[in-house]
Amino acid sequence: MKWCLSLLLCCFLAAVNALSSSGSRLLVVLDESTEKSAYSTLWSDLEGRGYDLSFESPKSDSLSLFEHGERAYDHLLILPPKSKGLGPNLTPKNVLDFLNKDGNIILALSGKSSTSSAISSLLLEVDVHLSNDRSAVVVDHFNYDTISATEKHDVLLLNRPGPLRPDVKAFFDGEGVLALPRVAPQTLGNTSPLISPILRAPETAYAYNTKEEIPAADDIEATGSQLNIVSALQSRNSARFTILGSVEALEDKWFSATVKTPGGKKTTTANREFAKQLTAWTFKETGVLKVDKIEHHLATNGEVSVDDLNPKIYRIKNETFFSIEMSEYVYDKWVPFEVPAGDELQLEFTMLSPFHRLALQPTGKTETSTIYSAQFVTPDQHGIFSFRVNYKRPFLTNVEEKHEVTVRHFAHDEYPRSWAISAGWVWIAGLWSVIGGFLAFVVVWLYSAPVADKIKKTQ
Amino acid sequence: MYLWQATTSFCLLASAALPTVAASAWGFTDATVAVQPKGAGINGGFKEQISSSKPLANPLVFTGADTLRITLTTQEDSSAKRPHQAFLLLKDSQSGLDISYPFTVKENGKSRVELTQKELPLQFLTLPNPVDARVVIGGFGSSEAYDHSVFKLAIERDVNIPIPTAEAPRYGKLPEIHHTFNNDPTNPPIVITLAFVGAVIAALPVLAGLWLFLGVNLNHLPTALKSAPLPHAIFLASLTGFEGIFFLYYTSWNLFQVLPAAAVVGAVAFVSGSRALGEVQGRRFAGLR
Repeated sequence: MKWCLSLLLCCFLAAVNALSSSGSRLLVVLDESTEKSAYSTLWSDLEGRGYDLSFESPKSDSLSLFEHGERAYDHLLILPPKSKGLGPNLTPKNVLDFLNKDGNIILALSGKSSTSSAISSLLLEVDVHLSNDRSAVVVDHFNYDTISATEKHDVLLLNRPGPLRPDVKAFFDGEGVLALPRVAPQTLGNTSPLISPILRAPETAYAYNTKEEIPAADDIEATGSQLNIVSALQSRNSARFTILGSVEALEDKWFSATVKTPGGKKTTTANREFAKQLTAWTFKETGVLKVDKIEHHLATNGEVSVDDLNPKIYRIKNETFFSIEMSEYVYDKWVPFEVPAGDELQLEFTMLSPFHRLALQPTGKTETSTIYSAQFVTPDQHGIFSFRVNYKRPFLTNVEEKHEVTVRHFAHDEYPRSWAISAGWVWIAGLWSVIGGFLAFVVVWLYSAPVADKIKKTQ
Repeated sequence: MYLWQATTSFCLLASAALPTVAASAWGFTDATVAVQPKGAGINGGFKEQISSSKPLANPLVFTGADTLRITLTTQEDSSAKRPHQAFLLLKDSQSGLDISYPFTVKENGKSRVELTQKELPLQFLTLPNPVDARVVIGGFGSSEAYDHSVFKLAIERDVNIPIPTAEAPRYGKLPEIHHTFNNDPTNPPIVITLAFVGAVIAALPVLAGLWLFLGVNLNHLPTALKSAPLPHAIFLASLTGFEGIFFLYYTSWNLFQVLPAAAVVGAVAFVSGSRALGEVQGRRFAGLR
């Protein structure tokens, strides 16, 4: 009976943990319990995917992201508070500590009311900027919902975003339009490779402060695609921080609303699917990479025995074979990782700086992983080298592998023999002619009789 | 009858009213674009009328010191009105770059925007093709917003003036690196080597010739073999054996194989050599050499 129960518990735990690759404890910070019912579909979707949801008010004293110095939750979803800040337990420092301890965060903003300065300073830490007065809202007179925002044009209707760049995998694409009511726009700093936009405003969009009648030309800070509606940061420890400009887009109302663009047809929004993609990505259900196995050995035609695998030492100019097995987590399972078209998984053979940087080609596949491999000749430079795979891409967790090996010189008996070098023939011939001459001299010295008449002549 | 009339008149009214609602749209009139070089007066430089329905045929050239000025009057349904949005939108269709410059709009719809190259982002200065300049006018409510290309803007700059690069760090694939190996050691032409090998080998016959000229002979060989045949044979054989050991050392043996062999052959050479050389000494004492 006990055994049965524990097995059942194990199965249950496995089913719960099967979803996110990094834990299922999700803390939702929302202002008042009244707000909670507006997002019931989101909560049930998240619970259906195996998350344990806890709800806390930002003002609550019991709210703490850490317990005994460790994370108390794996993921954090912050809805914009109505009050001024996020309270003493969610200071920017606490939130960043949570991020540094591999916690994932979704921060939703709203253009309805001005954003608190605590959130603004938190975003500044990650080089994401809100408008100066923190109360801007995005409008677009070309892509708005004519049904719900006839007058104010502040419900944007946008297509689901495609890939960020041609060489980046799209995690948020798909059919359908998104309805994004009252978006608080963000602009991104240009110097960090860690932040990337997920959804940008269309080129005709602009942001303005709703308190002002008509924006003065000088007040407009950013326009068009520089305004980000959804942006993401993936820190160096692969923890994810997503900023969603419109919290209302997650409401039940907008998950299945009927909308119509000017001059378009009536359609149903794809917000629910997008919310799934967004939460799945942020909470590490997608875009998570894993290295299963790394092998390197001398290139041979046949099988490589276990003893010859991953040697510690190579010689210069050795033909070397390197392979790496990579998996990607997709919602609830590991699948073979495919490098997006236009991108490459690269192997570096480095000593301080790379001597080789080669594209790894897919050469095989297992049930859960793809085997990438490359073959190359070790450089003609001895020293301590390392095989490095440094695969950092937007929206994919970082892969940084470093395997150190020694590369030695030729041993004294590995050089070609002197008779194989035609330039050495003169010296070899000289040596043996001396030996021959010596033997001849010995014979002559031992057995030659003096030449009598010549001696007489000289005498 | 009355009802019929009323219905028709209502329908007529509605049909008259409907298109006006649908046609309620933003637009502009009295628009001019001017590109004024630095130092030129108000009327200097290029100036042209632009229409809201058709873009200019030729791209405008916009160089480093020029000021681009657009003036227009915004309209909602042919009556001048101030819109909420009046932008000059520059868009490069190839790279997808876009940037907007808001017009300064007065209450009566008179709008103007001025632009110099300093205000353009760096990325726009290095574009190969002219960018699309569009005027975007829009406002709240049901009026249809206006967004059309009005001209093409060819941004030209002095290539001799360096601009900072717009490169920003982004994760992506890096250029491939292939190690450049040192050249393999090469040999001189084989003919030259063979010529010198020939010269070296030729030293032996030259030596033999010289010895023969000096009257070298083996006249004492029978005497030596008669008095001490074994020591002489063994001594010569051990000397030859030494060279054989050296040959084996050169081709395949290692030092630990060479040393015992050399010790044995050396001892043999020492013993047999002292006998053989004693015989040679005997010949000297006998006055034969």
